[in-house]
Amino acid sequence: MSRFACVLVEHFDAAAVERCEPALRERPLAILNPSVDQPNVGRESAPTSNRNGALAARIMTTIEANAAAREQGVRPGMTETEARTRCPMLLTRPWVEEHTASARHALLEAALAVSPRIEDGGAGVAYLDTVGLERLIGDPAAIGRRLVHQVRAIGLIPRVGLAASRTAARMAAATGSGAVTVIPPGRERATLAKVPIAVLDLAPDLAATFGRWGVRTLGELAALPREGLAMRLGPPGLRAHDLALGLDRDPFRPWTPPPFWEEAQGLEWEIDSLGVLAGVLETVLERLCRRLAAVGLVADVLEVRLGLASGGHHARDVSLAYPMSEVKPMLTLAILDLEAHPPPAAVIRVAISAHPIRTQVGQGGLWQPPAPAPRDLVTVLARLAALVGADNLGSPVLVDSHRADAFTMLAFSPPTEPAASERRRRGAPQRDDIPPPPPAPRRLALRRMRPARRVQVETAGERPARVEAWLVIASAGPWRASGEWWDQQAWARDEWDVVLGDGALCRIARDRLTGHWYLDGFYD
Amino acid sequence: MDERLVPIRGEITEIVGGLSSGRTSHLLACLGDVVGRGETAALIDTEETFDPGSATQAGIDLRRLLWVRCGSNREIALRAADMLVRCPGFALIALDLGERVPRLPTTMAFRLKFAVRRTDVALLIVGCRRLTGSSAALALETLREGIEWAGPGPAPTHLARVRTTTRVLRARGAEFGRPPSSWWSA
Repeated sequence: MSRFACVLVEHFDAAAVERCEPALRERPLAILNPSVDQPNVGRESAPTSNRNGALAARIMTTIEANAAAREQGVRPGMTETEARTRCPMLLTRPWVEEHTASARHALLEAALAVSPRIEDGGAGVAYLDTVGLERLIGDPAAIGRRLVHQVRAIGLIPRVGLAASRTAARMAAATGSGAVTVIPPGRERATLAKVPIAVLDLAPDLAATFGRWGVRTLGELAALPREGLAMRLGPPGLRAHDLALGLDRDPFRPWTPPPFWEEAQGLEWEIDSLGVLAGVLETVLERLCRRLAAVGLVADVLEVRLGLASGGHHARDVSLAYPMSEVKPMLTLAILDLEAHPPPAAVIRVAISAHPIRTQVGQGGLWQPPAPAPRDLVTVLARLAALVGADNLGSPVLVDSHRADAFTMLAFSPPTEPAASERRRRGAPQRDDIPPPPPAPRRLALRRMRPARRVQVETAGERPARVEAWLVIASAGPWRASGEWWDQQAWARDEWDVVLGDGALCRIARDRLTGHWYLDGFYD
Repeated sequence: MDERLVPIRGEITEIVGGLSSGRTSHLLACLGDVVGRGETAALIDTEETFDPGSATQAGIDLRRLLWVRCGSNREIALRAADMLVRCPGFALIALDLGERVPRLPTTMAFRLKFAVRRTDVALLIVGCRRLTGSSAALALETLREGIEWAGPGPAPTHLARVRTTTRVLRARGAEFGRPPSSWWSA
């Protein structure tokens, strides 16, 4: 049984760019290194003056090319001019570290969704320990297909090899004819015998030595006497021999996911409009959400970090209020937050990291009442918060106090279980020893004045006789209350219900500490 | 509550009346009916007069109620209502406009009407006068009929209850007689 799988994404730097711009996948693409400066040696490119006055030209060197470009002869190391000579339709992109780093993390996370033990084999390479997976997924070919599916879901095109060792699995992935190549147990040496020695990616001097010896394939290298190799080439020779035999000498180093999930995009131009920035944010969020979805995670907080042309950073924490992995509501929330707190300068880099959590998957209850979908609710709450302010939005909760109008506001999060009365009405199981509560009482509502309005009250004895300009037609009271006498917030008041001359039925109260009268509100 | 007097899903209902006429009690009763069924409701409170204590006494589960306070800004209240009626899943959106009801363009009223129909939410507008004209399917006016006081002695010590009645101003597609009076306990 195969013990290891290798996921290989060829031409990884180009694949990382294609992941950000999928339209480039079918077209010849070269990744250029913009940091190579060479003296001007008579080329026709635009010269620039350096500090010493000498002329220098900026030569863009190809560091990677995709398969379509390689078919037309483009190779890493060529200058941009040479590459364009061979492929006039060549598209170029500068190498951006964030693209490669994000794609590398995404590849490892996709592998982690298939096996809990994976190893980072470098850019574009991931190894998986597949022991035990056959009981979950199936035979090695099925495991390979699952891996291909997972990696394609994050926007990369992989080749997968499965074999008894990591080395053999990598050889199988690199040389196989299809997307999945399986080497049966015990057949590693025979299968790899005809593979060219170039796949080992040996050091140039070592490869040259084997070339002089006439060793062209892994089979020929594996057939060399090990003692002789050790005597002539030392440890590098022994290592090459092990690779040819498909043996692993290095221990398996398990990779664990980082504590945060991040996707980033460097920009070739400055963005000073939120509308344009929204497009970039959407692209970055799509990649991040695909990663989260691939491993069954959702995010509850986003951190949006914008690199500014002025050299600084603008960072915002966007609380999602409800864990999600959907792009549109995330984008809406991020845009609304940036509208309220715009960056102070043009943006040249976008990075979004998510705080991932695992959702509890469960079936909705039969008695579950209809409620706004989480993504709709989150979006409308964010829009309302932008309109009225976050403090003016939520669910009120009464405070355990006798003080008038004592309440606090909590974030709106309606419970998902049905109300008790609804469970009874629909015949859900109930305990017989608990009597059903009476129907909701029809109570008179009070329309509160906030803050309570101070009023002038004339009294006849203790009872109010006139409130401002209105005669009191009828009154009831006082309802005496006090509290927090042990604190500086002590309060004491007498409440009266009065009918005024204009027909209004209201509640007024006299502060016993100050003697002032206040209009609490109107019964309505 | 009389089933004919509750807000209609997918339609606009208006309750108008003066101060102390019982319109807010009627509003809380409608909210209580909705959240009592386990559904979700929202209250857009233009003048921030909603009293959570009264709502709790009326049996409203405040966890299922979204309270939007608009700081007496009627334009913001209307925009908040426009947003909320487009969010499917709410059973009742209540818009309490208080004592100063703004003029609403007919186009805006129709916009609300069609949004409400699309999301099948009940929009209940409470104020001192009507707002949406013919876009409302049901319009009620509340009137106070009497007050009862209580207390152990000859001088009442507390308000016992208030009796109100309801007059149907508009009922599209339904025949109404005079609804019975209602008693609201203090």
